Amino acid sequence: MRRVRTGGLAAAAVASLLAVSACGGGSTAEASGDTEVRLWLNGTDTPQELRDYLVETFEADHEGMTLVIEEQDWSGLVPRLQTALASEDQTPDLVEIGNTQSPTFTYAGAFSDLSDMYDELGGDDLLPGFVEAGTVDDTLYAVPYYSGARAVFYRKDLFEQAGVAVPQTLAEFRTAAIALQQANPAQDFSGFWFPGQDWYNGIAWLFTGGGELAVQEGDRWVGALSSPESQAALTEVQDLFTNATRAPRDADSNEPWVAFNNGQAAMFSAPTWARWSIALPECDKGVDPDDTSPEAEALLAEQQACNEERTGVFPLPGAQPGTPATVFAGGSNIAVPTMSQHQEEARDLLRIIYSEEFQTMLAENGLIPGNSQYAGALGDDPYAQAALAAAVDAKLTPAAERWADVEGARILEDFFQQIASGTDVAQAAAEADRLLEETLN
Amino acid sequence: MSAAVPPAVAVPPAARGARPAPRPRRRVRPRTRAARWLLGGLAVVVALVWAFPIYWMVSSAFLPTARLQRPEPTFVPVDGTLANFRQVLTDESFYASFRVSLAVTAITLAGAVLFAFVAALAISRFRFRGRKSFIVTILVVQMIPAEGLFISQYAVLDGWGLVNSVLGLSIVYVAAILPFTVWMLRGFVNGVPLELEEAAMVDGLSRTRAFFRITFPLLAPGLVASGVYGFLQAWNEYTLALVVMTEPGERTLPLWLQGLVEANRATDWGVVMAGSTLIAVPVIGFFLLVQKRMSAGLVAGAVKG
Amino acid sequence: MAAPPLPPETAAPPRDPAPPGPAPAPPRRVPRRAPWRARLNPYLLLVPALVPIAVGLGYPLVRQFLLSFQEYGLAQQFGRPAEWVGLRNYTELLSDPYVWGVIGRSVAFCLVNAGLTMAVGVGLAVLMSKVGRAARITLQVGMLLAWGTPVLATLTVWQWLFDSQYGVVNWVLAGPLGLAEFRGHSWIIEPASFYLVATVIVVWMSVPFVVFTTYAALLQVPAECVEAAQLDGAGAWQRFRHLSVPLIKPVLLIAALLQVIWDLRVFTQIHVLQKAGAPTRETHLLGTYVYSLSREFSMAGAMATVMLVLTLCLTGFYIRRMLREEEL
Repeated sequence: MRRVRTGGLAAAAVASLLAVSACGGGSTAEASGDTEVRLWLNGTDTPQELRDYLVETFEADHEGMTLVIEEQDWSGLVPRLQTALASEDQTPDLVEIGNTQSPTFTYAGAFSDLSDMYDELGGDDLLPGFVEAGTVDDTLYAVPYYSGARAVFYRKDLFEQAGVAVPQTLAEFRTAAIALQQANPAQDFSGFWFPGQDWYNGIAWLFTGGGELAVQEGDRWVGALSSPESQAALTEVQDLFTNATRAPRDADSNEPWVAFNNGQAAMFSAPTWARWSIALPECDKGVDPDDTSPEAEALLAEQQACNEERTGVFPLPGAQPGTPATVFAGGSNIAVPTMSQHQEEARDLLRIIYSEEFQTMLAENGLIPGNSQYAGALGDDPYAQAALAAAVDAKLTPAAERWADVEGARILEDFFQQIASGTDVAQAAAEADRLLEETLN
Repeated sequence: MSAAVPPAVAVPPAARGARPAPRPRRRVRPRTRAARWLLGGLAVVVALVWAFPIYWMVSSAFLPTARLQRPEPTFVPVDGTLANFRQVLTDESFYASFRVSLAVTAITLAGAVLFAFVAALAISRFRFRGRKSFIVTILVVQMIPAEGLFISQYAVLDGWGLVNSVLGLSIVYVAAILPFTVWMLRGFVNGVPLELEEAAMVDGLSRTRAFFRITFPLLAPGLVASGVYGFLQAWNEYTLALVVMTEPGERTLPLWLQGLVEANRATDWGVVMAGSTLIAVPVIGFFLLVQKRMSAGLVAGAVKG
Repeated sequence: MAAPPLPPETAAPPRDPAPPGPAPAPPRRVPRRAPWRARLNPYLLLVPALVPIAVGLGYPLVRQFLLSFQEYGLAQQFGRPAEWVGLRNYTELLSDPYVWGVIGRSVAFCLVNAGLTMAVGVGLAVLMSKVGRAARITLQVGMLLAWGTPVLATLTVWQWLFDSQYGVVNWVLAGPLGLAEFRGHSWIIEPASFYLVATVIVVWMSVPFVVFTTYAALLQVPAECVEAAQLDGAGAWQRFRHLSVPLIKPVLLIAALLQVIWDLRVFTQIHVLQKAGAPTRETHLLGTYVYSLSREFSMAGAMATVMLVLTLCLTGFYIRRMLREEEL
């Protein structure tokens, strides 16, 4: 084992200080002779059941090896990858990475070539946007793990009161949002919860209207926010900000259900798992959080049913009736770091991940699996259907080497905030295009 | 208090000539009772204002997250719950991180205080070539922003197999804290007259005993003050720990807290605040324990510039 | 220095004044060996401190400095050869008007915050020395809580307090105080009010250090001087200005120096507030700007060097003086 044990007690710790050489010296991997393969998964999206499956299956196939899954936090992932991926000792053997982060590391040469596995892992059934994000010069370095699509949640009663039906096109959606806000004159009320820095949702308008964030022209990336398509879409976005929402301009896409739960919003757009965070006051059964009795659990189930009964969900509609909008696909890729000393084992693990069993399990847990062939297992409840519909045509941020820098500099947050603040759309777009070009090239 | 320096504080000659003071340590107080009450009231109000964010943290720890996200703030959690605390206290990773943090903090403290102490001895008891450069260096080093350093620091630790190791993290912490502590302790050592020690030796004590019996006690406040500074740094540091401690079993408390923020897809803020409160308890405890000596410590050291 | 320093400032080990310890008895036994300090090599004493500083700070700093003359980013970390580019990173940075804006903002922010922290800190220290025991301890505990609680937690709370929708600050202003325009007011969306909030938080966090330091210094102002001055008819302000201030000046200077150093590179508070929803580009200070460059290690290194020079300019006066006094 590589790690140095922590002395539990302060005294032991101090003692170990005096034994620097003892601690510091032999840190070669697998001193114990036991091969350890390490997989980094981020956040809690991969349920425990799936982790157990991976460990069991992998260890059954590989005598004398252990699979260790280390959970990382999304917020600290990039600095950790920056350091650990360059270290032979510390690099994980297989790593999950946010799809918008993956081009940066792919271009830097952090990952091994997986091109020869493309067909084996699913071929053209692999989510195309994610494959693109993991490809450099026709070489595949990172493959789609899962996608978490977004859907719009709405209050059925407020729709009824305002005489609004579930919108069929993006234009209808805007009219509905404005109508809802007008029907509810309360000072804090939003027809559609749309905070100023929420570019995740905002770019759906851009993509649906045929606009882009940035496009590649030869060797250069060029900001595309000033294109006529983008401008038209952004004008609609500004209209939404002005007339359909009272969400703060200094908030982002985090916790959009809070206002909804407080009766201050008729609609919000979020990943489909947000259903578990909806807690309407009228459904509150006042269960003591300490109470774990069967009665309490029954009440909680009743509460959840009540919430879901009052809440509807639909995929953001597209330009034409019956088509979904092109939304931004959040999700992640998975890759084998170049420095990994267990390339073959990592590839075996990839094979397990892309097996029918595992892909189906992902879908059953509400995630759109990297191999879209198995998305059918999402189920047929409205949440799954909304998620699937949204995912079909979902799109990613540009697969540019320095895209992570754009996110690091928060250029899109600033840009959408300006639009929300009423800055002239053309002017804001010109400035953002300039910054995008400066950062991407 | 001239903790380090016995009351050899020079008194301006004019003042001394005017009138010898009968009670040397008496505080001069405002003359009227009303003024005193007014100032006392002001002090209490300031204290309450200063402590308010901390109060808010503790009070939030007693509320379920849904309550924290209502438009109406809850000022006093009269109908609060202990569920948040229970959740933290039944979380094994909390204890694991607690142990890691304790170990890192202990090593850092011991290392920083001990090394700074001997370095301070060197620069205030000896005159040698390079002494001034050393003093300038430790001052300048504090001025360089450390946010961009983690890549190189990681590379050093990795080369020695000290990533994901309590010792490795502690070494970097010691390095980060040493400049300040050397600087501070130098003042304390300066303040202890060498003659005290020599006199004791002349009195028949061995030099080691003279040092530990005479000099060391006078330096205690300085050591304590450096210790508090080191404790706060090591206990709360996040950025470096983030890259150095990546294995789930090796995470310090700030990393654990960040993990708690992301433990559920929707953050359970009540639990996060309970966690924060529990992390703060040892700091406050340590602080209260040494606070009396500390205010003496900080100043006497700082004076030496 | 004009005023007599509190513990002797340029303390070479004081030679002549009789130590107030036990009166030296006539030598009973002359130590046979040379005094211990003659046999201890000072360089040896520095080694334990120098080793971790060199390893944990020195080498990374030197490397950072060298990188600042290269083109070194993520790709170089994975083996692409790094190219020497001379001063290009520096010229690129320093020819960008935006960077100068950041520098200007940072210096202003640093001076305002260091100044405010010192003013409030010294004020509270004086207050602390004037009130009764109960009030004093209350104030000390309040300061202590603010200083000792993990930054991660306090910053979350501050973020909540100033939240535009559910923040207590807006709730109090709009509700009980009847200032309806603060309902839903965004504190961090305008740079000016962003820096106001940042200043509140930074000052809140830094004042305790100054208070405890200055309070301890004030305790050392000999009561007899104060009484004498009082008898001479000096008012409270005059006593403070002409008696206490000169005496505690060394402490004040060093505290101020540290504040300048710390406030110029302020990072965490700004970073957290930016993530809470501020316009990032308009609110960058040097600390957050360097961090945002950290994928371009060479650029970040160049910026760090610029910051060092800047800090030296701001504090050069004090450092020179300190070095002069160091001449023993």
